[in-house]
Amino acid sequence: MTARRSARAQEIALPLVVVALIIAGTILKGSVFFSTANLWNVLVQASVAGTIAVGMTFVIATGGIDLAVGSVMAAAAIVGGHYFASAGSAAFMLATVVAAVVLGAINGIAVAWLRIVPFVATLAMFAAARGIAHLISHQTPVALYGLDALTRIGSQRVLGIPIPAIVFLVVVALGWLVLDRTRYGRYVIAVGGNREAARIAGIRVRPIVFSVYAVVGLCTGIASVLQTGQLASASPVVGLGLELDAIAAVVIGGTSLAGGRCTMIGTFFGVITFALVFNLLTLENVESQIQQILRGVIILGAVVVQRRGH
Amino acid sequence: MTALLEVRGLVKVYPGVTALDGVDLDVAAGEVHCLVGQNGAGKSTLIKCVAGAATPTAGTIRLDGRDLTTGRPGTALSAGVATIYQELDLVGDLSVADNIFLGHERRIGPLLDRRRMRREAGELLRRLGHATLDPDAQVGELRPADKQIVSMARALSRDVRLLIMDEPSAILDPPEVDALFEVVRRLTAAGVGVVYISHRLDEIARIGDRITVLRDGKTVASNLPATTGIDPLIQLMIGRAFHELFPNRNILRGEVVLRVRGLARPPHLAATSFEVRAGEILGIGGLVGAGRSELLRAIAGLDPVTSGEVSVGGRALPRERPDLAVAAGIGVAPEERKSQGLWLDWSQVRNVTIADLPRLGRGPFTDPAAEHRAATAQLRALAVHPDDPLRAAGELSGGNQQKLVVARWLVHASSVLLLDEPTRGVDVGARAEVYRVIGELAGRGLAIVMVSSELAELVGFCDRILVMREGAVVGELAGETATEEQILRHALRTGAEPRTEPRTEARSETP
Amino acid sequence: MIHSKRAVLHGLVLALALVPVACRKEAPKETPKEAKPAEPATATPPPGRPAGAKIKIAFSAPSADHGWTGAISVNAKKQAARYDDVEFSLTQAPTAADQVSQLNTIMMQKPDVLVILPQDETVTPAALAAMKAGIPVINVDREFSDPGAQRAVIKGDNYGVGFQAGQYFASELKCKGNVVEIQGIAGISVTNQRTKGFADAIAPCKGGIKIIAQQPADFAPDKGLSVMQNILQAQPKIDAVYTHDDDMAQGVVQAIKNANRDKEMWLTGVGGSKAAMEQIKQGGLYRATFLYNPTMAASAVALARLLAKGQGLSDLTEPVIPNLIVMQAQGVFKDNVDSYMAIGF
Repeated sequence: MTARRSARAQEIALPLVVVALIIAGTILKGSVFFSTANLWNVLVQASVAGTIAVGMTFVIATGGIDLAVGSVMAAAAIVGGHYFASAGSAAFMLATVVAAVVLGAINGIAVAWLRIVPFVATLAMFAAARGIAHLISHQTPVALYGLDALTRIGSQRVLGIPIPAIVFLVVVALGWLVLDRTRYGRYVIAVGGNREAARIAGIRVRPIVFSVYAVVGLCTGIASVLQTGQLASASPVVGLGLELDAIAAVVIGGTSLAGGRCTMIGTFFGVITFALVFNLLTLENVESQIQQILRGVIILGAVVVQRRGH
Repeated sequence: MTALLEVRGLVKVYPGVTALDGVDLDVAAGEVHCLVGQNGAGKSTLIKCVAGAATPTAGTIRLDGRDLTTGRPGTALSAGVATIYQELDLVGDLSVADNIFLGHERRIGPLLDRRRMRREAGELLRRLGHATLDPDAQVGELRPADKQIVSMARALSRDVRLLIMDEPSAILDPPEVDALFEVVRRLTAAGVGVVYISHRLDEIARIGDRITVLRDGKTVASNLPATTGIDPLIQLMIGRAFHELFPNRNILRGEVVLRVRGLARPPHLAATSFEVRAGEILGIGGLVGAGRSELLRAIAGLDPVTSGEVSVGGRALPRERPDLAVAAGIGVAPEERKSQGLWLDWSQVRNVTIADLPRLGRGPFTDPAAEHRAATAQLRALAVHPDDPLRAAGELSGGNQQKLVVARWLVHASSVLLLDEPTRGVDVGARAEVYRVIGELAGRGLAIVMVSSELAELVGFCDRILVMREGAVVGELAGETATEEQILRHALRTGAEPRTEPRTEARSETP
Repeated sequence: MIHSKRAVLHGLVLALALVPVACRKEAPKETPKEAKPAEPATATPPPGRPAGAKIKIAFSAPSADHGWTGAISVNAKKQAARYDDVEFSLTQAPTAADQVSQLNTIMMQKPDVLVILPQDETVTPAALAAMKAGIPVINVDREFSDPGAQRAVIKGDNYGVGFQAGQYFASELKCKGNVVEIQGIAGISVTNQRTKGFADAIAPCKGGIKIIAQQPADFAPDKGLSVMQNILQAQPKIDAVYTHDDDMAQGVVQAIKNANRDKEMWLTGVGGSKAAMEQIKQGGLYRATFLYNPTMAASAVALARLLAKGQGLSDLTEPVIPNLIVMQAQGVFKDNVDSYMAIGF
């Protein structure tokens, strides 16, 4: 009951915040803000952190955390860009995604079988993956202008919708479907909610725990392709602080850091909330410090709403 | 007797529910006043009001003539009301002394006065007759009975006038209960008034002075003498007699379903072998810590074993694979229902179907409608109350939570049920329900293994009883002829000192 | 906030990434008694270093987490490798605090000269201590807060970079147009000086050049991309973009290209990366970059060696090195890019 009520409070509160932001934006910046072009732009902006936040929701649902996503995103792009770019866009994308899944799977093994606390295991990967990115790239971005199919991600639209926005929406929809409507999703939540009860009910806990880190790796790989597609280069310094953006979006969405309680729709609105704030304040040319303060206020406000729901 | 606590016309209304509807209670100084009633009768709400954890809607609470109807725990505490709750609220990582003085630490300036706390803790434990407990021992490593003592010492560390004990004996062995009673007698001799809540009605005559019976938020009988028999008490509580608790059932004995051969996990479990047939209810008795829960967990593949084999229907199970044990038809209802058996914020339906999602889903997807159908059928058959399959498990009473876990294995069509203390924390009225359900399952041909600390339950309900001691099965009794004394004799190793506390004793010998 | 986040990150990267700390060997010992009188040019070798022994130069820099800092380390190492008589060691510090403790360790090993590119001013006391201990310090780029903390300074010219860029904008736009400025990390002196130099240089246009949007993007290409995406939504008419960094500018370039507005405007960078120079050579969106070249690290090593040998700059009359060298904030354009390609990083 308590859980259900607080989830409901969250699910209403965040869309309200989003609506309020849209109204504020329309009043302040009317035609520029409330245009299809800008609203798609907000989704494009949300696409990288948002795609990762979808995977992060799975990890946090099990009571885990992944601090490595930003570093893994950079490392995966550098691995793909440095070794596979010459073989074309498809090879690059595949290599990038596979690299991210492999790094995610290493986290999964460390957490599920070596029983290292998720915070520590992914903290190690956070450092190591960034090191890999710098080491392979020699601190120099890898230019990918030649990869037409890849760079089209940044420039082209399908049915008037930018490709990163489409990919993000599809990933959110799939994430929701898997978490809310499949057996696997139920097991993920079960393991997060009560690990021992899950074991006694015959759920294989370790493979489930392992899998969520592979899932966030997959999402990070996709995000990495979106990022490199837009940047037309793979850089070792991208994704700094991205893990915190993704975690913040998941948390304000109403997913509990303790595990067992999660909402993919909440995560979506969490991501959109931050993207709207960023968009609106840049449109208004407000100093970036104000934006940081506002992010803090939003995170705190969301947690307070969560509390009051109890 | 002069009234220490005087509760008059207490009413507590929660949104939608009237938990208390005019309750009176008198407790005299130096008296043990027993409070009985089914779960939901209002006992917990009453003690919450007295302890200041809830504000009454109407009525008065007076202690020594002083009005306590505040709803503030601080006021009640400072007036000398101490409460020991059912769920022990101790901090496992802290020492005994730290726990006793938690919240009112002895200090020198801003610094903790550890030496003084240790000394005073030692004195308190001595007053409680447990001088062997080491004030420096970590509470998380103590046995439940010792934790209980720590809770009581904590209550005593403040100047206590009225001690409220909520089911203190639920997790204790008979000898430990004796020790507990000894402590309670010391307190009352010192003039402390005690409110004692227990589901073990047989204890009342041994420890109580007077009895108040609650039903549906009302006082149905007050100030009964403690000599009132169990049967009249039960009738007051539920309107039924004791012997009616156990269902009449036709015992059928089918094929051997569960076979355990030489299963061992030293030092918790010595090599154990037994068989259970379809339709049979096998009881496992013994003291807390005798290895009964460990045996169940080893059978279900939840803990690693060093040797031995478990087979279901003639097929051996691989070790340490609880998922395959479940698939082979073993269902476990753990003792710690809340922390190990259920997802408290999940609906009844989800709790019941979790082990059967592959069968109840379509491909990789879940099918909420099919889950709802399957779960509802079993929930109805077990008469889970309230009859709202979407209600969260955490809102159900202990007995209904137990049924929820059992319903899971019915949906799964398990052939073996391992029940660990299935009636612990379940009140008398609901126990009859639990027995009826278990009896029916056996009637359907399930093999049931049931760990219980309730001697009456083992003797009155089980077809066969294994008694364990120190990790080994030391006796086997037939259900029809077994007596409570026989079980105790096996469990205690006749003639020997029953209380064994090797760890704390060893420590306390070196001052 | 960004600072500390980055600092933590750097710490971890350093912890696990390979840190190219050169192995120190004992300098070959020669007895000073047998040393021959020094050549006239080498005047008097500083006490404590036997003539003929290798010159020990220790270089302390921030971690190589970015194109420019990476190039600093590379340039320093390359330059040192050119000298047979130099024994070179490089340490990289993720934070100012780490740098201070690293410097304390280095001082115990008694190098002949210390070259320091400090994380920030808080490294000053460590440099002062080194000077007091008789180890001369050459300060690279970011200046210490106490003039006694170094023997010589060699630095880039952040204000000059901004000023040159501003002059270029003023003349190219003929003092009229809408300009977007994408800054580095908000609040640090590098950013402030590059912004101020630019503003001062366009001031004579008397408001003809309008800075219609000004946002930081933390020197990171992904931040540059998303900041510029938003600005493109807000601003229907942009004539030119002034960015504070070549790496970061790559994100800005892509945002403009993805929005199909690369014919509408042009942009400039700062630094002198190879990628930027190639795009300048190609022509189009990327018009210019203003050198803030990490070759200054190589020059710093050269200066350190001269200092240790007691020599001056060869074509100058003084027998010792100067106290202050400021690199010119040279603009690189399509017509001169070929001559700078070799030093692009």
